[in-house]
Amino acid sequence: MKKTVKRVKVKQEESVSLSLTVNGNRHVLKVRPAALLLDVLRDVLKLKGTKPGCHEGECGACTVLVNDIPVNSCLYLAVRAEGKKITTVEGLTGPGGALSAVQNALVEEGAVQCGFCTPGMAISMQALLNTHKSRKKSGRGTKSLSRDDIKKHFEGNLCRCTGYVKIIDAAEKLLAQSE
Amino acid sequence: MAIQVLRPSNLPELKKVLRTGAGKNFRFIAGGTDVLPQIAKDDIRDLTLIDITGINSAGFFAVKRYSGGYKAGAGVKVDDLITNKEIGLHYPVLKEAALSLASNQIRQVATIGGNLCTASPSGDVACALMALEAGCGISLPAGKKQVSILKFFTGVRKTVLGKTGLLLSVDIPQNHNKSRQLVSGFIKVGSRRSMECSVVSLAFHLQCDAKGTILRAGIAIGAVAPTIRFARSAAMYLEGKNIHEIREMEKLEFAEKVLGYASPISDLRASDWYRKEVLRNICFELFDRAGK
Repeated sequence: MKKTVKRVKVKQEESVSLSLTVNGNRHVLKVRPAALLLDVLRDVLKLKGTKPGCHEGECGACTVLVNDIPVNSCLYLAVRAEGKKITTVEGLTGPGGALSAVQNALVEEGAVQCGFCTPGMAISMQALLNTHKSRKKSGRGTKSLSRDDIKKHFEGNLCRCTGYVKIIDAAEKLLAQSE
Repeated sequence: MAIQVLRPSNLPELKKVLRTGAGKNFRFIAGGTDVLPQIAKDDIRDLTLIDITGINSAGFFAVKRYSGGYKAGAGVKVDDLITNKEIGLHYPVLKEAALSLASNQIRQVATIGGNLCTASPSGDVACALMALEAGCGISLPAGKKQVSILKFFTGVRKTVLGKTGLLLSVDIPQNHNKSRQLVSGFIKVGSRRSMECSVVSLAFHLQCDAKGTILRAGIAIGAVAPTIRFARSAAMYLEGKNIHEIREMEKLEFAEKVLGYASPISDLRASDWYRKEVLRNICFELFDRAGK
C-alpha cells in the first residue's frame, strides 16, 4: 500500500513591523498584529519591571508612559506605539543605577510592601510630577495639589498591602521638593 | 485565524476596508479600553479590529467651537474634556462625568465615541451628553446624517449605527443666550469612589437667567434602564421655575417624574429597589447644588 502523506499547511500568523523607542533605546521588532504593549515589553524586550495584573485596566500595575502620558499597557495595542517614546519603570533609573526622585521618595517614605504595584505606582507618580512641573512652568497651575487631588490621580493604581498612606505621603513629599 | 488589526488612514480608505478587507467578523476599535478586555474575557480568537485612531482627520480628534455650540470629534479623548477650559466653563456636567470615568490611565486613551458606541446603560460621558441633548454626526453606508442622542441608543449595547455605521462627531448645543447661571453636574453612585461602574447616575444641566429662572433643563439618568434615558417630563417640569425657590413638594414631584423613566434590573451591583431609592435621593441632591 502506498502511504499518502497529507500535507497540512499551517497558516502562520502574520506579523507586523513595529518601531518604537523604549527608555531611550530604539527597537525595530516583528510582532503579532493584536499584540499588547505589555506583552511586547515583557516577552519580546524582556523588560519584566512592568507587571501584568488584571488585564482589564483596573489595577494599573502595567502602567507605562507613552509619549509621557500614563496608560495601561494591558489595554494598549502595540501597533499604536509605532514611532512613540515609551518609558517603563526601568527607564526611571539614571546612569549607573542612580535612583530617580520618584524612586527615592518611595524608598524614603517606605511606600513599598510586596512590591507588585510599585512599578505602576512609580510611573503614575512620575506622570504626576511631570504634569505638575509643566503646569508650574506654563503658569497655568499656581496652586499646590491637595492630598485629595493626589489620591484622585492614583485611582487607577491598586495596592493591596500598603493602605496607600505612605504612597500618598511619598507623592506629597515629591511635589513639595519640586516647588 | 487570529485577531487582525487594520488601521485605515482616512475615511475613503475606511470605506474600502469595510467593502473588501474586513470580512464579516469585524469590530471598530478606538481607545480599546472596552473592546480589549472583552476579547480577553470571552477568549475571542477570530476577529478583525478596525482601528479608527489612525484616521488622519483633524476634526476627528478635536473640540471646536462653531455657530451652534461645540463640535467634538468622536476620537476626542475623555481626558481632553477635563482639560478643555471652555467645556468646563459652559458644560460642567460633561467635565464632571469625564472626571468620574474610570482612572487617569483609562481617560488618556478612552474616547467620547467609544463611550457612546459601546452603548452601556451606565456610560458616564454618554449620560452627560444626553442631558445636553447633543447631536450625533454619523456615517452610515447610505450616507452621512445627523441624529439626536435621544434616538442614538436602541438597546443594551445597541445603537442606530448597526454594525457598519460610524460615529464621526458629537455636537454640543450652545447654552441659551440669556443663561447666566448654570446648575450643571453629574452625580454617580457606586459601591466605591474610584474605578466604579455606576449603580445609578444622574446628569443635569439647568440653564438659568440672572434671577435663577430655569430657561432650559436637561436631565438624563444612567444604569437604571436598558439605555441611558432623557427624563423629558422632569426637565419640562423645572423649566420656568426659579431654582432658588423650589419647594419641597415640587422637589418630590420632580423626583417622581424622573423615577417614571427608570426601569432598573437587579444584578450583581444592586437590586432594582435600591437603584430606585438611590435615584430618588440623588434627585434632591441636585437642588443642593443650586445654592453653591
